[in-house]
Amino acid sequence: MHQMRKLSKVYRTHLIETHALRGFDIHVREGEFVAVTGPSGSGKTTFLNIAGLLEEFTDGEYLIDGVPVRGLDDNARSRLRNEKIGFIFQGFNLIPDLNLFDNVDVPLRYRGFKAPERKARIEQALERVGLASRMKHYPAELSGGQQQRVAIARALAGDPRLLLADEPTGNLDSAMARGVMELLEEINAQGTTIVMVTHDPELAQRAQRNVHIIDGQVSDFEHVSPLVRPVAKHAAVA
Amino acid sequence: MFRYYLKLGTRSLRRNPFLTALMVLILGFGVGTSMTAFTVMHVLGGDPMPHKSARLFVPQLDNGSMEGYTPGDDPDFQLSYIDTMNLLKDARGKERTAIYGLAPTIDSGRADLPPFFEPGLATMASFFRMFEVPFRYGGAWDESAEREGAFVVVISRELSERLYGDTDPTGKQLRIDDRDYRISGVIDDWRPVPKFYRLLGTGAISPIEHVFVPFQNAIAREWRNNGWTNCSGSSREPGFAGFLKAECNWIQYWVELPDAQSVSEYRDYLGAYHAEQQKLGRMPRPANFALRDLREWLAFNEVVDADTRLQTWIAFGFLLVCLVNVIGLLLAKFTARGGEIGVRRALGATRMEIVRQYLVETVVIGAFGGMVGLGLSYFGLAIVDKYGLGEAGIARMDVSLLFATVALAVVSSVLAGLLPTWRAAQVTPAMQLKSQ
Repeated sequence: MHQMRKLSKVYRTHLIETHALRGFDIHVREGEFVAVTGPSGSGKTTFLNIAGLLEEFTDGEYLIDGVPVRGLDDNARSRLRNEKIGFIFQGFNLIPDLNLFDNVDVPLRYRGFKAPERKARIEQALERVGLASRMKHYPAELSGGQQQRVAIARALAGDPRLLLADEPTGNLDSAMARGVMELLEEINAQGTTIVMVTHDPELAQRAQRNVHIIDGQVSDFEHVSPLVRPVAKHAAVA
Repeated sequence: MFRYYLKLGTRSLRRNPFLTALMVLILGFGVGTSMTAFTVMHVLGGDPMPHKSARLFVPQLDNGSMEGYTPGDDPDFQLSYIDTMNLLKDARGKERTAIYGLAPTIDSGRADLPPFFEPGLATMASFFRMFEVPFRYGGAWDESAEREGAFVVVISRELSERLYGDTDPTGKQLRIDDRDYRISGVIDDWRPVPKFYRLLGTGAISPIEHVFVPFQNAIAREWRNNGWTNCSGSSREPGFAGFLKAECNWIQYWVELPDAQSVSEYRDYLGAYHAEQQKLGRMPRPANFALRDLREWLAFNEVVDADTRLQTWIAFGFLLVCLVNVIGLLLAKFTARGGEIGVRRALGATRMEIVRQYLVETVVIGAFGGMVGLGLSYFGLAIVDKYGLGEAGIARMDVSLLFATVALAVVSSVLAGLLPTWRAAQVTPAMQLKSQ
């Protein structure tokens, strides 16, 4: 589904070059729940940004559903992001002056859905995360866990096949984190592929597969998680 | 999506009312100032008779002496009595009229209204036809009254209401400089701006005169010109008769020429007339004459003078300064929203969608700025009317200027928004999302 081959990312200034990713290979298959771990500065977030088409890469190959994304223009990348990828951020990144309904509405607007379909999708997504009754509330009126649930609803509303989560529980206490994690597992169990960057080894253990990154390279991978029962087969690092 | 962006734009503006008000006011001041200056220039530079201005002409003849002669000088803008009478006698053109200024005393005979001076014109019945003067009551005097120099008068609506209230005064006698004149007509509301038929000093924006008497009557009464008189040559016979024979230019002359052929023929006629007068011992200078239509006449007299143009440029310069300030505020506002832009980009917004969203927001600012600008323009024009032009109601906006004001504000805001919007669209979502 998502495959990176010998991918590299170099940040250049006029003084230094920083190799964030080098010879990075990964293959994420349909329905997998992959946890990406590694120390700070190892390249986890860079990987996630490139996977989500939020950043360009310097060299190598990245294929989504077998189609290379290198050289796609801004419109094509935005359309791919909108249709195939959902994002969950550590800081939730809800728009503060939009209520929950309007926050979840944002990706659907860019998708060009008509109003009745948008409404149905928003209500369904908020229902799924247990916040349908609070759709007229504003983010500031919710707890951190609830805000992250709204972010998940927003990511799910467009029916993406891949969810990219960057430290989704990083700003939550343990009880809230557990709730969000259970929700992600439930979503994965329903068929959505999830790639989650985390520092937390406990959370990583709950994923179907762990990928460990050090110095911009995949250093280790491991099939784990007796807790989850993925719909698709296990993936393997290519 | 436009409605969606409009909703987002108004919501965003409400979120920071102080900053929004500041931008709207800055834009409004810039637009208001420039449109005030532009309106004054537009009013003064307008065509008072657009459907007829190409057919109304002012002939100019150079009857000056060789003393102080400089080749290339324009002929005087008025004609002498001799030339006026000759041109009237030759009767070229469809219509023609002669005009000079008066300042007669009006005596209403009412105890409560002492005699007073009122600006007037000596002219001909053709004046009212050529310049399409509307009448509230009656009309101009007839041809026989014109020929005989009868004691008839046309008065302005303002004078009529002052003397007779709202009643029809035609047929009544009005005492002007100790003689009774029969009122033949009352002019309805008529305010050509600029007052093209007699451009003297600040006359371009002054109201019309209040009494109009037959040209020959004024001559017979030996009324001197109330206005600009330019004489050349030193030898002059005494008295009013001598003044009429002198090379003094004091009469404004207009002729209506219906088509290009008649214009060409009239030019030839002026050339021939000049040559004929030279043979008679007049007009010693080389042939120098002109024939200008109404618009050319306004330009020749610099109705829109250099100062007015300069003021307009300065006002638009002020608008530019305001725009630079708005650009700065928009940059600050949009930069502060980098996080939201990053989120929208991550959720599928293209750069163009971001550009559209933020341009719509600047259009909303522009629309509000336009409304403020409109209000300030009306205020500015009222000030200009009162203290600048000295006449109420001259500098006013028509519908096209009203729309132009709003359009200027919107276009200005879009221009001001281009750089901030472009910068907003360049936001790198990955950077913004991490820093949130």
